[in-house]
Amino acid sequence: MDESEDVPKDFIKLKSEKLSVDEVSELVISPCCGAVSLFIGTTRNNFEGKKVIHLEYEAYMSMAETEIKKICRDVRQKWPSVKHIAVHHRLGVVPVTEASVIIAISSPHRAESLEAVMYCINTLKASVPIWKKEIYEGEYSWKENKECFWTNTEK
Amino acid sequence: RRPPGRRRHRQPAAEGCPPGDGGSMRCQQVSVLYFARSAELAGLRCETLSVPRQITSLQLWEEIVKIHPRLAVIRDQVVFAVQQEYVLLGDQLLVLQPGDEVAIIPPISGG
Repeated sequence: MDESEDVPKDFIKLKSEKLSVDEVSELVISPCCGAVSLFIGTTRNNFEGKKVIHLEYEAYMSMAETEIKKICRDVRQKWPSVKHIAVHHRLGVVPVTEASVIIAISSPHRAESLEAVMYCINTLKASVPIWKKEIYEGEYSWKENKECFWTNTEK
Repeated sequence: RRPPGRRRHRQPAAEGCPPGDGGSMRCQQVSVLYFARSAELAGLRCETLSVPRQITSLQLWEEIVKIHPRLAVIRDQVVFAVQQEYVLLGDQLLVLQPGDEVAIIPPISGG
């Protein structure tokens, strides 16, 4: 690999096809990095005693990409040694146990990429215009992240 | 009069924008996008709306609810995104340009 081309990159993708942990990890691997940290969000089969059949995601696509880019910029400001960042989010139907989001970040040492991944998923849940509908047997529910920055218990 | 070949779409006018009087009332055509629960309540995902060029975010919400009354139930939960910047419903004055994009944003649940 030509190391002069190993400039820090952000890889952001919203797609309806199944996500691949291998693909997302490989995007961020870098010769100068000793750590790749990963978060995978998967569909759970239950919510408050109800059986979840699957999740359905929709997004305000252009703004979601812009907001994820802002998160990547913030990550690089807080953890300057972070090398590559990849955020893949699935849209449409996501069956139980399949991944709805994968975040991978590389850095020379592990502390930065581990912290940056946590920041990334927490901030995504607070600010990126993506919505999920939980489908049960016979009913459904639009979910609301507790991190959503404009909904709060004081309202 | 619609140009030939153009697909019919709703262009409701907000109060304060008499039809054909775009000059003195300084109305703008903006695109309104609906997502998640707001799309279900409004029954559509996008439409073009004529609104005054200067309007507060709360006034804009009220204009939209006049056209889609079922949206009233989510008033306390939504924000707008105007040209992809979040705006709370309130006194903030919006200065809208023709073709600006306004999205109704229910509580988000990505990840």
